Amino acid sequence: MDNALFQVDPGLFIWALVVFSIVLLILKRYAWKPLLDFLDEREKDISNSLAMAESAKADLEKIKDESEKILDKAKKQGKTIVGDSKQKAEQSANNILNKAQEKSNEFLVEAKSKIDLEKKRAIKEIKEEVVELSLDLASQVLQRNVKDDDNNKFIQSSLKAVKTDEAKS
Amino acid sequence: MFIDKNDTVSHDPVDTAISHVANSQLNHPLFDMHFEFFGIDLSITKHVFLLLLIAFITVPSIVFLVQRYISSKTKIPGKTMNFIEMIVVYIRDNVLKSFIGEKYYREWAPLIYTLFFFIFVGNFLGLIPLFDLLGLINYVFGGDTFLKEFVHGGNTVTANINVNFALAMVTFFAFTIAGMKKYGFIEHWKNLAPPGLALPLYFIVVPIEILGMLIRPLSLTLRLAGNMMGGHLALIIFTMLVIGIAEEYGFAAGLGASIFSVSLSVAIIFLEIIIASLQAYVFALLTAVFIGMAVNVNH
Repeated sequence: MDNALFQVDPGLFIWALVVFSIVLLILKRYAWKPLLDFLDEREKDISNSLAMAESAKADLEKIKDESEKILDKAKKQGKTIVGDSKQKAEQSANNILNKAQEKSNEFLVEAKSKIDLEKKRAIKEIKEEVVELSLDLASQVLQRNVKDDDNNKFIQSSLKAVKTDEAKS
Repeated sequence: MFIDKNDTVSHDPVDTAISHVANSQLNHPLFDMHFEFFGIDLSITKHVFLLLLIAFITVPSIVFLVQRYISSKTKIPGKTMNFIEMIVVYIRDNVLKSFIGEKYYREWAPLIYTLFFFIFVGNFLGLIPLFDLLGLINYVFGGDTFLKEFVHGGNTVTANINVNFALAMVTFFAFTIAGMKKYGFIEHWKNLAPPGLALPLYFIVVPIEILGMLIRPLSLTLRLAGNMMGGHLALIIFTMLVIGIAEEYGFAAGLGASIFSVSLSVAIIFLEIIIASLQAYVFALLTAVFIGMAVNVNH
């Protein structure tokens, strides 16, 4: 074709083939292969970290569930422990009260018996004192009139009365 | 017509228009190599110079950007690298993986990427009026400087059918080799026709398939050349309209026409930018499709 637009130029054809082939070889070796490898690696990294994030999220969810379960269990246990200890405390309080009651009763009984004993002793002592006093009185009376038989008889009878009282008590 | 031995400058508007898109005359190269290879003149014409320019732009810039990006610690691409990465990822996901397939795409990816960027840079170099600027400088300095050697012919190397045919032949061999590699030499040619047809039909189907296969590089060549040529011819015609009107009807009329023609030319330049990217993509896409067809034969 006699037209500059369609002029056949084998030289240019060869130049184009050679230049393109060289460009292709250099770019393939130093640009496209490393770039594709790099992009693949980056995408792998991204998908890996996404998967990791996903699994971490699942783990977190699991841990959250578990911790909730543990918390629930702990709450229940706490409740039972509190209930038990309350019961125990009540029981022991009752025990203590009962014991105290018993002890106080014992004390009371003891005290009563002691009081009785003391009372008896005091009465005895009073009686002895009375005898002594009456003896003193008698001796004083006697010093004035020992020879009086009536007085003597009276003293003797008084002493007898005291002795019988003593024997009774 | 344009390739006349006396190298006379034609004043025919059609010749002037064509000279802006065609290669420099074969008998008037930029650098006469005086070297013939089996009778083929390998002198450096303007389009050979442009091919080398594409290589000198594409190779160092892409290799530098990719290597810097990969070896950087932050792995954050710059603006240009981001653009390259965007194209690389887009072509990988939408062209290579979907047409050639996961299994074979890595083998052919460098070819597709190189075709795209080679044609892309070639198309855009055609949009920059490098040599017209040199012509203007030559004109300013009296019209007889060494620069006048550069002003013959256009600067769109991808509008040249020889260049495009070379690229299309690369595609042709790529899909032929791809098919042979996968199915073996004989099986690959058998794949041309679907099995199980009635014998007489093979006499029709096989020639049609062979013709289709041979037409593929031709269609690639003409599609790219036509697209790149058309826009430039339209640009030159609109620009020359101003000169024509000024010569015919005077300066004022020319000035009036320039408003119309400049605004239209700007619009065409924008269209050309889209076409330049699109045609590079189409060439790469069709190469991938042909390779895919050779590799994934489904009868």
